[in-house]
Amino acid sequence: MVKKDLSIEFLGVKFPNPFCLSSSPVGNDYDMCAKAYDVGWGGVVFKTIGPKSYVINEVSPRFDTLTKEAEPFVGFKNMEQIAEHSLEENLADIRRLKKDYPNNVLIASIMGNDEETWEDLARKVTEAGADMIEMNLSCPQMTSHAMGSDVGTNPELCKRYCQAVKRGSKLPMMAKMTPNITDMVPVAKACLEGGADGIAAINTIKSICNIDLDKKIGMPIVNGKSSISGYSGKAVKPVALRFIQQLRNGIPNLQISGIGGVETWEDAAEFILVGSRTIQVTTGIMQYGYRIVEDLCNGLMHYMEEQKVNKLEELVGLANKNIIPAEELDRDYIVYPEIDKDKCVGCGRCYISCYDGAHQAMEWDEETRRPSCNHDKCVGCLLCGHVCPVGAISKGEIVFKKTAKPGRKIADIRL
Amino acid sequence: MSKNYLEEYDAAFTPKLVMEEASRCLLCHDAPCSKSCPAGTDPAKFIRSVRFKNFKGAAETVRINNILGSICARVCPTERYCQQGCSRSGIDKPIDIGRIQRYITDFEDSLKMDILEKKPLNGKRVAVVGSGPAGLASAGYLALEGFEVTVFEKEAKAGGYLRYGIPEYRLPSEVVDKEVKRIQKLGVKIECGHLVEELESLKKEYDAVVVASGHNKGKVLPIFAGKRFVKTAVDFLHNAKKKKGNIKLPENVLVIGGGDVAMDTVTTLKLLGVPHVTDVVYETFAEFKASKKELIGSQEQGVTIIDGYIPVSLKGKTVKFQHRFIPSELKIKADLIILAVGQYTEAGLLGLEVKKTQEVEETANRVKDNLFVAGDIAHGEKTVVYAVRSGKEVTYAIKKFLGVK
Repeated sequence: MVKKDLSIEFLGVKFPNPFCLSSSPVGNDYDMCAKAYDVGWGGVVFKTIGPKSYVINEVSPRFDTLTKEAEPFVGFKNMEQIAEHSLEENLADIRRLKKDYPNNVLIASIMGNDEETWEDLARKVTEAGADMIEMNLSCPQMTSHAMGSDVGTNPELCKRYCQAVKRGSKLPMMAKMTPNITDMVPVAKACLEGGADGIAAINTIKSICNIDLDKKIGMPIVNGKSSISGYSGKAVKPVALRFIQQLRNGIPNLQISGIGGVETWEDAAEFILVGSRTIQVTTGIMQYGYRIVEDLCNGLMHYMEEQKVNKLEELVGLANKNIIPAEELDRDYIVYPEIDKDKCVGCGRCYISCYDGAHQAMEWDEETRRPSCNHDKCVGCLLCGHVCPVGAISKGEIVFKKTAKPGRKIADIRL
Repeated sequence: MSKNYLEEYDAAFTPKLVMEEASRCLLCHDAPCSKSCPAGTDPAKFIRSVRFKNFKGAAETVRINNILGSICARVCPTERYCQQGCSRSGIDKPIDIGRIQRYITDFEDSLKMDILEKKPLNGKRVAVVGSGPAGLASAGYLALEGFEVTVFEKEAKAGGYLRYGIPEYRLPSEVVDKEVKRIQKLGVKIECGHLVEELESLKKEYDAVVVASGHNKGKVLPIFAGKRFVKTAVDFLHNAKKKKGNIKLPENVLVIGGGDVAMDTVTTLKLLGVPHVTDVVYETFAEFKASKKELIGSQEQGVTIIDGYIPVSLKGKTVKFQHRFIPSELKIKADLIILAVGQYTEAGLLGLEVKKTQEVEETANRVKDNLFVAGDIAHGEKTVVYAVRSGKEVTYAIKKFLGVK
């Protein structure tokens, strides 16, 4: 039985493990958050609390999913906005959670519609006992343009709202970024200038998941119409990792709470390696329940064991330096595919993909139903390896190109 | 799995399960499955259509390539054909192609898709004797090519062995009805209750005649000849299906034979409530002829199967068997004995010279003059999917013979 210390400090607050509910339907009230703590979540970002004047009125239905073959959904579209309970109810729940779960972290997510309300909400959640504040500058489905992701693309506005929150509270505070922007760094910098201590990224991506082909309406259908709204789940992980990497490049040592499609410990480890200190999850929970934290924690412990690290902190950001601009990559060599003919089941998918999607280098023996690679044509793209259903194709022989710098040694190449 | 004779034994795929099965498919290049379907149903193509959510396209592929697609989906011993070469076997087990095809053809039915398009009439008329799988397939393909086709069937309903042989739990009559209707919709006339006793007048009246009367008689081993308590599997299955399983059976039945017909017989007996069903088989399990699926199905129903024995004598109602290889004897007494030891054709009665399988070239369906054969008579005892192929072949041969383009 593996036992590793998963605790980590983020913005000066100690988390028993890095896994938190993100601000969303999964942390909507006391009972839900209490159950999540009981199952093992290290922290909770309570569903975003808005100003009293902003009345929540949700649509029905409000979700849609992107499926692929027989997979459970890979992407999830959500039209729900922020907490629908009254401000008083939410504050009471926060108070009670902190009393009953003093060792777990409770983060209050807030969203104002002007400086005054941001400041007021910050003050109120601090009084209620929250450990940290997350500013929701990024919800893409708000019914007001003074709130949500429209704010999150405006650095100046973000800075002013951060300042307002800091006036209302001395708690550590992170600003939650929208990915519906080309470059997140200027907004994150503005937030830090305004007083934010760290950044949470990413919120959901504006999306249309599916169109009903008979009715010609986006999904989900709300009385004959639909809207663009936030997309999440496994499918957005690559986008989230990219933004986090760019944030860490643009703002060295930035403290980040990573969000975006985490389902497994492997996903979580990737977020940590690009520089996240905590991990927030919603879609995985909506799909599979709070129980996924068991395998997130246990799997991450095993990974720490394999990596021979005792503190999770040691893994944070280890991949950042290995992700470099395309122009700096070594372009001197080709690595040819190596085909394990015993593993090969003779489906010919490598042959099809190489012919139709690459360089016609894979040759096909019709008699034996086995492929072989013609090195004269192969450019070493290794598409073949990606389509092989049995993992029979791996990286094989390395050869330097004619254009390579002289004197290079194969032994120096790290595959 | 159903335990009722009148209910389909295997459950159908749900939309989710069919996607799951289709996504197990490796989508092979030059797919072995498609190369090993005698009728050219092209499973690789229709499975790929399913995988990419094109169920209608999948239905078109099945139906255009296999005019009896809904029936083959249920009764084809796929392990001997398409599934045999399946590359997925290299990982775990072959794709359940039959069940995917069943899903697709059910989908086709549910939408009442009308896929087949016939050519304009070419002015030539063809008579088909027999409405079993080969007769139906021949009639269908001929009609598609513009022939005016009339089928003569001696029974009250069309379908031959499909209707009166294969048990209801494996092939519901409703499926046969729909398939027959589909062929009638192409303009094929089916005259039921019409026994053809000689061919000369048909040969004169029609531009071509196809005899597809099948191997419709069960063989009887000499030691059992003339005994009232001995029946052939063909007759037993016919009776059971005609009476919808409403037949009287004793408590202890012995079946002899180990092919698919034998499996149909023992499973039917069990589903109809016979407590003791014993099947003695000439082949050892290693040589078994029946498809694995049917063998497992019968074992699940609790049939006792004894392999490797030959019946040598009958005393009263007790059969004595000897093992083929080891010195071992077996005596079994039964109230009813059913023989599933092969079938033969009565086409000889029509003055047809019946050749053995090996002597018939697969594309030479013409016997003499304007007389052609299809199905078991042409190829020897085979499967429904082979009958479909035979229907295509005879259509091609007749077109060539009559100079139809």
